[in-house]
Amino acid sequence: MSPAAAPAGSSRAALRDPVLAPVVLLLWAAVALFVLYPVSRLLVLTFWDGGPTLAAVRELVTSWQHRRALGNSLLLAALVASTGTVLGFAFALLAVRAGLPRAVVGILDAVVLLPLISPPFTAAIALIFALGPRGLISYHVFGIASLNIYGLGGTLLSETITYFPVAYLTLKAVIANIDPNLEDGAFSLGARRGRVFRTVTVPLAAPGLANSFLLLSAASLADFATPLILGGTKFPVLPTQAFLQITGLYDMRGGAALSFLLLVPALAVFVVQRWWTERRSVVTVTGKSGAATSVKSLSPGAVALLALVCLATLLLVLTFYALIVVASMVRALGADNHLSMAHYAHVFGGGLKAIRDTLVIAAICMPVGGLFAVVLGFVVARTRFPGRRALEFAAMINYALPGTIVGIAYLVAFNDPPLALTGTAFILVVCYVFRYSLAGTRATTALLAQIDPSIEEASASLGARRDVTFRRVVLPLIRPALLAGMTVLFIRAMTAISATIFLVSLSWSLVTVRILEGITNLELGQASAFSVLVILLVYAAVALASVAMRWLPGGQLGRAGSLLGG
Amino acid sequence: MSTILLLLACLLLAAPAWGADALNVYTAWPESLSQPIFKAYSAQTGVPINFIRLSTGELVARATAEKNNPRADVIWGAPGDGFAAAKAAGIIEPYRPPTAEKVPAELKDPEGYYTAVSRNTLLFMSNAKLLKEKGLKPPTSWNDLLDPAYKGQIQTADARTSGTALTRILSIYYAFGRDEEKAMEYQKKLHQNVQVYTKSGGGCTIPTAMGQAMVCIAHMPDAMEAKKKGYDMLTTFPREGVAAVIEGVALVKGAKNRDAAVRFIDWTFTKNMQDLLDKNEVYMLPTLPGGSINPAVQALMKEAKLLPVDLDWVGKNRKRLVDRWVNEVIKE
Amino acid sequence: MSGGAGARLRLVSVSKRFVRAEHGAAAVADVSLTVEPGELLTLLGPSGCGKTTTLRMVAGFERPDTGQVLIDDQDVTGLMVYRRSIGFVFQNYALFPHLTVFENVAYGLRVQRLREAVVRERVGRVLALVGLPGYERRFPNQLSGGEQQRVAVARAVVVEPRLLLFDEPLSNLDAKLRVQMREELSRLQRQLGITTVYVTHDQEEAMAISDRIAVMQAGRVAQVGTARDLYRAPRSVFVAQFIGRVNLLPARVVRAGPGATTVTLWRREVTVPVDGAGAIGADVSLVLRPESVGLLAAGAAAPAGEIAVDGMVRSRTFLGEKVEYTVEVDGTSLLTVAYDPLRHGLFESGARVQVICAPASLRLLSEA
Repeated sequence: MSPAAAPAGSSRAALRDPVLAPVVLLLWAAVALFVLYPVSRLLVLTFWDGGPTLAAVRELVTSWQHRRALGNSLLLAALVASTGTVLGFAFALLAVRAGLPRAVVGILDAVVLLPLISPPFTAAIALIFALGPRGLISYHVFGIASLNIYGLGGTLLSETITYFPVAYLTLKAVIANIDPNLEDGAFSLGARRGRVFRTVTVPLAAPGLANSFLLLSAASLADFATPLILGGTKFPVLPTQAFLQITGLYDMRGGAALSFLLLVPALAVFVVQRWWTERRSVVTVTGKSGAATSVKSLSPGAVALLALVCLATLLLVLTFYALIVVASMVRALGADNHLSMAHYAHVFGGGLKAIRDTLVIAAICMPVGGLFAVVLGFVVARTRFPGRRALEFAAMINYALPGTIVGIAYLVAFNDPPLALTGTAFILVVCYVFRYSLAGTRATTALLAQIDPSIEEASASLGARRDVTFRRVVLPLIRPALLAGMTVLFIRAMTAISATIFLVSLSWSLVTVRILEGITNLELGQASAFSVLVILLVYAAVALASVAMRWLPGGQLGRAGSLLGG
Repeated sequence: MSTILLLLACLLLAAPAWGADALNVYTAWPESLSQPIFKAYSAQTGVPINFIRLSTGELVARATAEKNNPRADVIWGAPGDGFAAAKAAGIIEPYRPPTAEKVPAELKDPEGYYTAVSRNTLLFMSNAKLLKEKGLKPPTSWNDLLDPAYKGQIQTADARTSGTALTRILSIYYAFGRDEEKAMEYQKKLHQNVQVYTKSGGGCTIPTAMGQAMVCIAHMPDAMEAKKKGYDMLTTFPREGVAAVIEGVALVKGAKNRDAAVRFIDWTFTKNMQDLLDKNEVYMLPTLPGGSINPAVQALMKEAKLLPVDLDWVGKNRKRLVDRWVNEVIKE
Repeated sequence: MSGGAGARLRLVSVSKRFVRAEHGAAAVADVSLTVEPGELLTLLGPSGCGKTTTLRMVAGFERPDTGQVLIDDQDVTGLMVYRRSIGFVFQNYALFPHLTVFENVAYGLRVQRLREAVVRERVGRVLALVGLPGYERRFPNQLSGGEQQRVAVARAVVVEPRLLLFDEPLSNLDAKLRVQMREELSRLQRQLGITTVYVTHDQEEAMAISDRIAVMQAGRVAQVGTARDLYRAPRSVFVAQFIGRVNLLPARVVRAGPGATTVTLWRREVTVPVDGAGAIGADVSLVLRPESVGLLAAGAAAPAGEIAVDGMVRSRTFLGEKVEYTVEVDGTSLLTVAYDPLRHGLFESGARVQVICAPASLRLLSEA
């Protein structure tokens, strides 16, 4: 299918369009205020003290902790990306190429989705319970007394479990899109399974593998929650260091400087990943590919091996979540295993404010962010407004940056009048909208690529103004993208912490922050109860969205969950 | 049309939404301890209290960041060193509650910036079963903890995030007769036996209770909480001594609800409130003479050799001590 | 490329059912075919008739539920694809997008671990054979549709397979190119002499290149034969309608005897020189090709022995070398074709005419 080109018409014409111009201006204003301004304030805080200064950065680089943190962050990112990609590849192969019945693949999808939609500390806490010293599994089942779960090993394991679903979703789509005729063709030329896998399947999946590697690197670089619990002093990483610098040592400037140390690799990875996915895809599916091959490129032996690995992983994931659920329902896991609904009583009693606040914020984010994403996507993909590429990039910055940086930037930028927004719901909504709308924008551009621009031209020829065309022709057609964007926003609003921990206040509290507090205060039962609630809510939302997507007419976007894969 | 309404609704939310006469409080106490007390106040006076619980470090950092536009009115319930740092950062203002006159002078800031609500201290909490397995007696000296039998079996707080950690550092400093070098030496050796440094002060109690470590160095209330939950724990004190900790209250500079704040601080030093420390099983000692005392807590405190702490000195040297800990003790 | 003798392919009662909700009936039901060495047999039929499934079973991409596939009397039904020594050309060519033309074509040779010099030589030769010399370094996405198609053929042919299988290879090309390519394919196949099975839905294509055609319908083989046989003597209404254009006339049997059957057609009795088919009174269909229908001016004398009946021209389509008329005869519509019309004269729409045809040009089918 040839990509639909932007409609003909000069940029000048776009400038004069009475509806388009103000909309674009509004978009730019929003992006400038809520993306560029805070980051520049952060820059100023780091590099300006009366005059330009490198003192803050220099101080950082001389500290062994911070140097170590930089090295650790990069190392961890590379390792997590590798193991997560391999694991995700194994799962994807199993799901797509092993000929499993649809029901089994459905279960696989459902379980693998769990880490993606859980609050951030889930894996870490469960890991400590399960595999820590005297852990429920390591000690009580296997009799290993002192497994050291803190440090690189534990953090790596926890992050791999948390992020491999992203690799899975990305690679699943990639492998499913490999024309089965290509593998059939190789078979017909006499190649056996191993050779076909090596010479056809893997090279064609390579772009997906690289993409997955980059996505996981970015996720690991930005991960603040897991290393906070499992890193310990032996394994510092940058986002956690930045957080501690500010919250522990009252050092805003140091924290800001650390943020910049983190920003460089994070942004680099992001830019590379975007550039990579924008290259022409090597894989296209054309013609009669409906005849799925019955000769699978995986031998029974390979399937068995994959199944073993995946099953072990799935069991681990399920055990983690089982532990969380059990912990939420007993008085004190490990000491007093009597069933008790006290934690849930608290969640719906004292914790109700946090739940209500979080849901309110999420509910506001969804239409605002959804609409923003869609309008932005439309402007970027369908108009020839000058500077739209710059606008697109600028809008992405908050997504590219690790959450801690954004949180600190917002704290610095919006604390003083005239823009004293800290402590309000507004800033939370804004933070989410500008951090997590990217999925919606991407979905919009993807859908628009499938819609012939001549439809809009027809509307214009019948006398409709731009916004009328948008409202009555385009919007209905890109409803799936809108829905997808809103779903992602909801999920993120329920599970985000790294930016928003700096932004909660007396008036607005968030469930994820309550979970962190619970863990900090060792109210683990309570933290587990909150976590279970969040998981259920998000699961319900994803299920609803998937069902709704299937009902909506319009282009194919796949499950909402897949949009979480970058 | 609906979009416009939506946007309007959002703008409305921008207005910080707190009630006209609600009080805004930052506290470092766990919610389970602070909330009942705040509720009691609201019940008595009808003034609702909005509060957030933050660790000491976060609390001071946030309040400092909000210096020009403070959100909180009162900092209620945080260790003394936090107030020392707050005083140094210029975010609290002096206020001497008339009701606190009877509180002994050593429990108040000489310049009146903050007053102690309760007294607290540090102790060793040990897992009875594990000790028995290894045939060890519970530690009664700081030097006991250096025993190789404890390798990888000690958990305690991270000095970058937890006030409890500072108490530990100070305890060691004072226990070694204010010899900073000796204290540093000791801490480096202790580090060899530490399994993990927890983010919060009480973060080591449950893991130790569950057998993941043998000893947890924590504040008294955290240890007592774990015991109350039913875990089989032993509490001991090092004979060289532990730092005396005060949990204080202070008025935030530029508080928006100053009058309500002042009234709340005054209430803190009534017998009413001080009795709650015992009634609610907060496991700390009241500072107002005549406040009801939990006998178990008192017995514990009697066991301890409490070393007095110069909070002004702490305020000036806190960062340095923590930096030294970061750069010398935990460096690998 | 040695002109190999080619293998004999036999399908014996092959069936396959797909276990999917959308497919109720079997995709392929009890198909038996033999393809002689060096022959090009086409599987022809509308979409969904099972031709591709049958082809894929020959290749080994699908496994038959029942029946056998025999290549040179070797039962390959259970044999893996890569052991069957076949060449398969896909509808969308399935060229490896990440490999050059050279590597694409060399793929099968590399599997056989041939020496580099041998590989280079054979690839060069086959590329010249398909008319793409010098294309070695290009990538598939740099080639036109026709060029990709040729590379696909080259790739399949260079390994010297026993069987060559084509799955609608030309349907993605535009009309003119299709005609050109089919001639080249036909010529190539004859030159190499590899036994070939060709799948298409385009009957003109089938007739142009095949030695024999197997018309398939709903998973079964309706009729097998040369293009001429199928055209002249279709054995069912389906085949009659699928091959070429046809007029189907309902009739009823009056008398049946050896070498002559009398039916009522256009309210008169017509004797068709075929063996008696069907009982007296049975409803039958008469197949009448448009070119067998002649038009004369009304009142003109009909040639002896031919059926003549009055009709009226309903519409006329002048197409240069031929003219097509729709003529109404006794309430039914007839399609006629006349060649070189400018020489023989045109009838106007609405003109009264005499419709003539020879009884021998009628074909009797027992379906009504």
